[in-house]
Amino acid sequence: MSLLDVRNLRTYINTHTGSVQAVDGVSFKINQGETLCLVGESGSGKSITALSILQLFPKGLVSHPTGEIWLQGSGLLPEVLHSPKADLAAKRLSYAKRAVSYYRDESESTPPEDSVNLLQLSEEQLEQVRGDQIAMIFQEPMTSLNPVFTIGDQIAEALSIHEPELTAAEQESRVLQVLDQVQLPNPRERIHAFPHQLSGGQRQRVMIAMALICKPRLLIADEPTTALDVTVQAEILKLMRKLQEETGMGMLFITHDFGVVAEMAHQVGVMQHGRLVELGAKDQVLNHPQHHYTKQLLAAVPDNLIKQKSVVVEFKRPALDGSIDLKKAANQPEPLIQVRELSVWFPVKKGLWRRTVDHIKAVDKVSLTVEAGKIVALVGESGCGKTTLGRAIIQLERPTAGQVLLESTDLTQLSQSQLRQWRPKMQIAFQDPQSSLNPRLLVETTLTEPMKVHGIGHDQEERIEKAAQILEQVQLKREYLWRYPHEFSGGQKQRIGLARALVLNPRFIVCDEITSALDVSVQAEILELLLEIRAQQNLTLLFITHNIGVVEYLSDETVVMYKGQIVEQGSTDQVCHRPEHPYTQKLLAAVPRLKFA
Amino acid sequence: MTSFLKRWHKQAPKKIKINRPEFSKQEPVAAQKVEKPETLTQRVMKKALSGIGVKFGLVWVGILVIAAVFAPFLANSMPLVMSLHGQISFPVVHYLTLEDWVVLSAFGVMVLVWLLPIRHHIRVALVLLLTIPAIVGLLVHWKMPPKPLVIYDDFRQAPYTQADWRIMPPIPYAPKDYLRDYGDTGLEAPLAAQERTHLMGTEENGADVFSRMIHASRIALSIGIVATSISMVIGIIIGGLMGYFAGWVDMLGMRLLEIFEAIPTLFLLLTFVAFFGRSLYMMMIIIGVTSWSGYARYIRAEFLKLRKQDYVQAAVASGLPLSSILFRHMLPNGVAPLLVAASFGVASAILAEATLSFLGLGLVDEPSWGQMLDQAVKSSTFNWWMAVFPGGAIFMTVFAYNLIGESFRDAIDPKMSRRAGVSA
Repeated sequence: MSLLDVRNLRTYINTHTGSVQAVDGVSFKINQGETLCLVGESGSGKSITALSILQLFPKGLVSHPTGEIWLQGSGLLPEVLHSPKADLAAKRLSYAKRAVSYYRDESESTPPEDSVNLLQLSEEQLEQVRGDQIAMIFQEPMTSLNPVFTIGDQIAEALSIHEPELTAAEQESRVLQVLDQVQLPNPRERIHAFPHQLSGGQRQRVMIAMALICKPRLLIADEPTTALDVTVQAEILKLMRKLQEETGMGMLFITHDFGVVAEMAHQVGVMQHGRLVELGAKDQVLNHPQHHYTKQLLAAVPDNLIKQKSVVVEFKRPALDGSIDLKKAANQPEPLIQVRELSVWFPVKKGLWRRTVDHIKAVDKVSLTVEAGKIVALVGESGCGKTTLGRAIIQLERPTAGQVLLESTDLTQLSQSQLRQWRPKMQIAFQDPQSSLNPRLLVETTLTEPMKVHGIGHDQEERIEKAAQILEQVQLKREYLWRYPHEFSGGQKQRIGLARALVLNPRFIVCDEITSALDVSVQAEILELLLEIRAQQNLTLLFITHNIGVVEYLSDETVVMYKGQIVEQGSTDQVCHRPEHPYTQKLLAAVPRLKFA
Repeated sequence: MTSFLKRWHKQAPKKIKINRPEFSKQEPVAAQKVEKPETLTQRVMKKALSGIGVKFGLVWVGILVIAAVFAPFLANSMPLVMSLHGQISFPVVHYLTLEDWVVLSAFGVMVLVWLLPIRHHIRVALVLLLTIPAIVGLLVHWKMPPKPLVIYDDFRQAPYTQADWRIMPPIPYAPKDYLRDYGDTGLEAPLAAQERTHLMGTEENGADVFSRMIHASRIALSIGIVATSISMVIGIIIGGLMGYFAGWVDMLGMRLLEIFEAIPTLFLLLTFVAFFGRSLYMMMIIIGVTSWSGYARYIRAEFLKLRKQDYVQAAVASGLPLSSILFRHMLPNGVAPLLVAASFGVASAILAEATLSFLGLGLVDEPSWGQMLDQAVKSSTFNWWMAVFPGGAIFMTVFAYNLIGESFRDAIDPKMSRRAGVSA
């Protein structure tokens, strides 16, 4: 007898051009005290599956041609279950089923005992199930809480609806109890705090507390840790495991990160294009995947890429006389970029006269040397100043103090117009594929305009030819020159962003989290591409990331930043396997990893 | 036709229409949606033009444009074509003024640009639109003989009456033709006189009101478009610099903007008219120079948002010149709200001119709608046709521009577009 039994669920989203099969025939079961992890890339329908269970859609947006979602022991009273409205809903569903049954082979299955089909419940009945029996946690802790209510009010609200008999004092004690349960420090004071007074991790704890206040038997977590830093993520995951042990609730955990799957799951379901292509116990799916898509996904995880790296790099480097180059690099390491005591401070202004009362020290006296031809990874959690440092090195952010030497010229002393000659040597590629390309310009214009300004190529034809070659270098088709950015997928946009950085023959590229917004398979392709380009052109990369797996795969050297300062730097092997600074040790320990038998 | 019939023919039990993703492909479903590329501009245009109000507005503005461009051919005392002793001549063309030539050539270039495939190259089109009328204007200025004083009464005497045949304009009265040869003419209600047809009657000097209306539409349109263009150019440059540089440039710019906002346009116009006499061009410039603050605010806000966008940062990192960053990478992405504001701006410029003319401070000899209203008020008796037609025209024009502006505003704002019912 399982807690949740989803049978052949189909969710079609109605658009005015027809319906899209967001979820297409998904069946799974979740038992008491068990976690099912749904994994898949963006657009695979995992979130829609979760929303289907709670029926959290605007009216008329979706239809369920087939499917049953049986929740065992809904806690609904029999007379509520058989209201005229519920009967009507059931009737409608049976009509809908009959309507589609003529082209779908549908075998009626017997419903499990003591269960209700959530798809047949009316809105009023669903309201009693939501929050009380099934609760949900969302991805973005920053926007999931209402900024104008205290967290105590927000947590107690669900309680006052589902258990109205409680007195105010009892409510408060329950809230305190649940805040204690999610290990929020000082719950007695925090109960009156507003969301903006809490950090991201604390807000996610509050979200979990809101979900847990009515002691649900099923918890649906939709990427609950994706927006969090790894150290915070590790704490939240640990907390969720502990809560599951205590309460014995079932969990549907949606994620795209196989490291998280390895930490959390009992069962794993892999989704692709709305279908559940593989479902099984964790060890089996992770170690002996059956479906080729699962195999592809697992192979694309950076942890696994490392194993293939030696092969890939050897294979892709035969043209280059690597021995000479490597020797040269080893014997006389030539510093391309030297950062000396660099500081970027942002003033905090207050009062009537906007006087500067304090500074936010985004980057604080950082010294760093990047040698030619190396890939240096800059790691750190959000807000540690790694992006600001990257932008300050290429002078997109003018530093407050310190020096940046590129080929022994101090860039910080140059004026904007003098800098213009140095710009082609250092380029940047950005994180967000949506905003990194000008939507009004053809790819051709985006690529050839910088060349024209810097006098690369004699005429427009030559430049277009060069742009086409570079597109081929980033593994895109020549014809893509004549398209607009909105015609591309995220991965393709990132490739075009890289191509834009490459057209000026730079010596040095800052890659600012360029793979963070991408699915693992696309991420793996981009990473391979970077290694290949590096090998061909002897480029130097500063790779800013928070993903330790990517660092291990890609970089020669690693720099760890914490609160605007560099706490550790050295070769990647040394930093990742023999970290010295306590922060690095903590960071590495927090990374969820795939462990193989 | 067959497709039309098919639509009526009801189909057999409808299967659910499904966009089935291809499972062999390794692309997410979202990526397959972008098959038909439709740019944002196209979508906004489609949405904006789908409402009824905007269609009405565009039709009215279209009528005005036609009336304004072809005014000398539509309402004039002289024949369009006439044959005198076997010689065909075009008296209207002979008497065209410098302004007429410039307006006609600009219209011709616009039609050409629209018909020829060069309309995608906005820059080429703009250059053509500016240079050709200018060249035509200069040519006319240097080459044409100076115009003799036009005496309209002459056209109703020999040799014009002795022509073998002649084609007159639809309204055979020039706006300043006071019909003195008919004796003591004066106020006439529409269609009151037997021997002549005045569709909208005549004003107290005897000139045809309809003819004056048509010629006045030139002033209304040109003052709206030129004044708004001037203020848009100033607004884009100042607002763009404020938004892009932020910091103290922004601070100074905002103070300058507040100073200009504090100047009441109407009183400035009154002062200038009092000091320097009456000129249409000066009115255009003053309205343009004082009303750029709204555009500057819009552009500043857009640029403040855009300057942190990655593609702008990438343009900076590529060492592109400032003009390219501002006008190529930022302006096209931030210009949409400005166009909305511009259509409201045209309406308010027309109103400003009408107000001035109504106060008796407009142009002296050229007819304008505001001046015609003024005439109606100042005449000893109330003559409805002198007030209703120009007043109605002002109302309709301002209304039309507001409708156009509103529908574009709603099309740009996705929330509003649903409420206003202009979305598909």
